[in-house]
Amino acid sequence: MSTAEPTRVPAYDSRSFYDEMYDEQGRVRLHYEQVHRSFAAMGPSELARRRQAFGSRMLEEGITFTLHAPGAPDPLERTIPFDCVPRIIPAAEWSLLEAGLRQRTIALNRFIRDLYHGQRCVRDGVIPRRMIVGNTYYRPEMAGLDAPGDVYVTAAGIDLIRDETGYYVLEDNLRSPSGFSYLFKGRSLMSELFPDLYLPSSIEDTERSLNVFLTSLRSLAPSGKKDPFIVLLTPGPYNSAYYEHTFLAQQLGIHLVEGRDLVCKDHKIYLRDLRGLRQVDVIYRRIDDEFLDPLSFQPDSMLGVAGLMNAYRAGNVAIANAPGTGVADDKAVYAYVPDLIRYYLGEEPILSNVPTYILSRKEEREYVLDRLEELVVKETSLSGGYGMLIGPQASAQELAAFRERIREQPGRYIAQRTMKLSTAPVMGAGGMMPRHIDLRGFVLSGSGGEPHVVPGGLTRVALQEGSLVVNSSQGGGVKDTWVPRRGRSGPRGDQSRCEAQSQDQDRNEEECGC
Amino acid sequence: MLNRNAEALCWIGRYMERTENHARFVDVLYHLQQLQPREAVDDRLRSEVDNAGKWALVVGAIGDRKEFESAYDGYYEDDVLQYVTMDRANPNSMLSCVSAARANLRTLREKLPGELWDALNGMYLWLRERQEDGWRKEAPHAFFRQMKDWASLFQGYSQSVMPRENEWRFLECGRYLERMENTLRILQAVRGWVPGGGWHEPEAYPYLQAVLRSISGYDSFRRYHADGLGVDAIMEFVLLNAAFPRSVQYSLRKMDAHLSLLEAQEPAMRARRDKLLRSSARVLADLACLERDDLLLDRDGRIVAHLLEQSRQLGAAMEAAFFRLGEATA
Repeated sequence: MSTAEPTRVPAYDSRSFYDEMYDEQGRVRLHYEQVHRSFAAMGPSELARRRQAFGSRMLEEGITFTLHAPGAPDPLERTIPFDCVPRIIPAAEWSLLEAGLRQRTIALNRFIRDLYHGQRCVRDGVIPRRMIVGNTYYRPEMAGLDAPGDVYVTAAGIDLIRDETGYYVLEDNLRSPSGFSYLFKGRSLMSELFPDLYLPSSIEDTERSLNVFLTSLRSLAPSGKKDPFIVLLTPGPYNSAYYEHTFLAQQLGIHLVEGRDLVCKDHKIYLRDLRGLRQVDVIYRRIDDEFLDPLSFQPDSMLGVAGLMNAYRAGNVAIANAPGTGVADDKAVYAYVPDLIRYYLGEEPILSNVPTYILSRKEEREYVLDRLEELVVKETSLSGGYGMLIGPQASAQELAAFRERIREQPGRYIAQRTMKLSTAPVMGAGGMMPRHIDLRGFVLSGSGGEPHVVPGGLTRVALQEGSLVVNSSQGGGVKDTWVPRRGRSGPRGDQSRCEAQSQDQDRNEEECGC
Repeated sequence: MLNRNAEALCWIGRYMERTENHARFVDVLYHLQQLQPREAVDDRLRSEVDNAGKWALVVGAIGDRKEFESAYDGYYEDDVLQYVTMDRANPNSMLSCVSAARANLRTLREKLPGELWDALNGMYLWLRERQEDGWRKEAPHAFFRQMKDWASLFQGYSQSVMPRENEWRFLECGRYLERMENTLRILQAVRGWVPGGGWHEPEAYPYLQAVLRSISGYDSFRRYHADGLGVDAIMEFVLLNAAFPRSVQYSLRKMDAHLSLLEAQEPAMRARRDKLLRSSARVLADLACLERDDLLLDRDGRIVAHLLEQSRQLGAAMEAAFFRLGEATA
């Protein structure tokens, strides 16, 4: 099919990277045609008006996150920049991602269970012992404890990137990944403010995923209780993701509570309610492990509930995600995930890792130190893009400082090849501009049944020209992510998945049984 | 109070409620994608044809299909939106409803707090302006939202400043009678729409949600039924929930309560009021006797049809009891 229509914005040049909308010749890719045409039909003033409407709707609805600047009297409340050009993932590609995300999550969950039940993987030499015992996120309290339904990771956020060769997993977020509200809210804002774009496209519905989320949480209730009482435990309104907590609590119809609203009695957790104490069955927590229970972890924590771990141990309450999942999303463990998939599932990983160097290994360390300016270095116990060095963009001093730090504590760092992150157009005042993006895929797992992958996930954008950092705390934005609806056989029709796999990835034919 | 004043008040209540409900309903339906994936996404005509089912549903739920079909070529988005918002020939279009409410209010403007007129007239003028400018320059959501805001403004003022006398009772009776009827109509329309009657298909999910969203009942529903978004749970919630202010039972109870508080010094009026109360009590008893199994087994939607007929009869009985000499538009 001819798509020779010239691009509307002559300045758009993304030829050195894989671009989601334009191919190497600068032509619009087939799956983007409709969207591209709709934007081309919109006048600049119309577009400016709608983009402004977008911003004000987000402010109005309080879709903000909070940045606490040291010394500033009032915290900075800002809306996350939401770009109105959707990212579209072709159905066949998505089927592959979906299968890969599901596979990865299942394996990671098995891995976590194993870590707290005998550590077969260590004994079999799949992963070095010090990766586990030396890990800040390993929770000895969890050893020997059975998580409800063996589900440790109820909500996983797995970050993916793509370059001209395909998709790669960048990191796993298994503690309390955020971004759900941007995904769901972004979709509804897009449908309301850009109906002419949204309605003619037939895309996978995400609303149902919220129901699956609730079903997953309910399935964790101790002894399969029919009508469990579920709460979302938030650190409170000062937390930067508080909007997300209120959004999820409202959409899931569960109670939003803080630690001080809960009390532990006789190894059971109760909510202080007007009518008295009400027993809590499932806690979806959005606070970190170390704040959960001052009796077990940080004694000075005001956010958690004293006695929570005892109640958990007694099997009277479920905690999602389970304590101690962080051990599996650590950047040092990341390098072993493909092996873990092979080990636990006997399958080849559908999704590849970004090639990663483990710096505690001498040869790999020397190799990395020799070409630091070409690589990305990440600290293994920090997240949020803070302890990170992007070699090609770093100054000589920064490189020297990191070289020093790596020599001192090599175990704290990993290095990765700089990936040529794909770009996608974002709408600016002057038209479309290429910006680097990644993708956070969300996987929801309950007790029994297959994990559910939210269609599309959340596309994050580095809004600074040339920047590779997509974190919202550092100037990143987001995009609505569309997956064209797959055949009538239903959104999870296995057939389409098999086709995609046999096409792109012969090695998976056997698992699919087709 | 004059008969015609009572009738006018009742109809102001009905028209304002109708406008608000229609705005909510069309807004929700507009943003629903159709079920079947389309092959030719870029073919405008093709997509219009595929959407025809959705637009026929909208017309069926809030207007008259025959009337629509005689005036328009087919169920195209632009035409249907025109029909439900600005078409003067459609007595249920938003513009018609607001104009009629305003005309009614005008006949007793001096008897009511000034804020009511200001709010309703402001709404009318705003709508007229949109009619002339072509309201579809903006995304429809902004328009519908503004309509809901105007209706809420009017209701907020009436709530906060009207003396609780017969004027207030008639306004409220009209509002709740209308609400009951609208909720039933939405239920009936959407229920008959999902292709193949497949309420339990995963693809039906957006439509189940649409029923609840159309009456702003989604969040409340969650509190009672959590993740069990099934057709019987929805029917039960929408018909029978005692706390949700847009359920059929709640609306009818409210109407009944306002009726019973109507002051009737004269024996003749009292007798007519009490007769009407007996009718509403009968419908309430019908509702109270509904079993969950009845709802489950009611595959043809007979219960909803029956209740719709009852609410029409209540409206007619109210007219007979109080407004017989009225001249205001009905």
